[in-house]
Amino acid sequence: MISLPFWNPIICIIAFVILIAIACLFRSRGQKKYKEGTAQTEIFLSGEEPPAVEQRHIKSHNIYWGFFQTLKQYYDPTVRAHTGIINDFIIWLIAIAALTAVILLIASLT
Amino acid sequence: MGFNSFKRALWAYHLNTGSCNGCDIEILATLTPRYDVERFGIVLVGSPRHADVLLVTGPVARQMASRVKRVYEQVPDPKMVIVVGNCGIEGGVFHESYNLVGPVDQIIPVDVYVPGCPPRPEAIIEAVVKAWVKLEKAEQGVR
Repeated sequence: MISLPFWNPIICIIAFVILIAIACLFRSRGQKKYKEGTAQTEIFLSGEEPPAVEQRHIKSHNIYWGFFQTLKQYYDPTVRAHTGIINDFIIWLIAIAALTAVILLIASLT
Repeated sequence: MGFNSFKRALWAYHLNTGSCNGCDIEILATLTPRYDVERFGIVLVGSPRHADVLLVTGPVARQMASRVKRVYEQVPDPKMVIVVGNCGIEGGVFHESYNLVGPVDQIIPVDVYVPGCPPRPEAIIEAVVKAWVKLEKAEQGVR
């Protein structure tokens, strides 16, 4: 028969409460003399002025950094091609359509 | 020597404002086994927000002035500032440089001066003890 490990939710709750009490004790022993609204409560950036709150978050784009870095040879020309100018997109459309037509024509002859 | 008000370990933050690194090496020497100030609870910390004492070296280059002010403002009260080395006291060998806005007491208030080029670790330790005594008085509100 397989013996299950001991499990009792009451003991877990008591342990959790004890840990919270210890954490609160440590926190109560901390420095209380920080002046709110001064540089004492600002983040420390080696003496640099901290950026605005909305500038502090890490952009989600950053998690794709390795992906973009690996496929740089592919992305660099394609990003350059995406100029945002409608004329360029129409030229691409016509060029691809012409290329497709030529391929289909050659395929139909063979 | 016993303290009644300042009963915790003394934490110091070291700020280089353009020093040649000589004084910084002597500050590090106080932490080596020969002097080992950590046995007295004197610890170098990585943030001024955790510090009681600001150890400043260097003559304060122009680019560092605003950083020195900001770091000083980030130290919680009561705080002490110790200037280590001749450069921070009066400019030292750099005193005629076009790029200085120091010495340190032109930028922030200074409590203890440690002259020398560089000062010996014993002098730095004595300065920290003096700062500790001043902190004790500051904690009692008789600064």
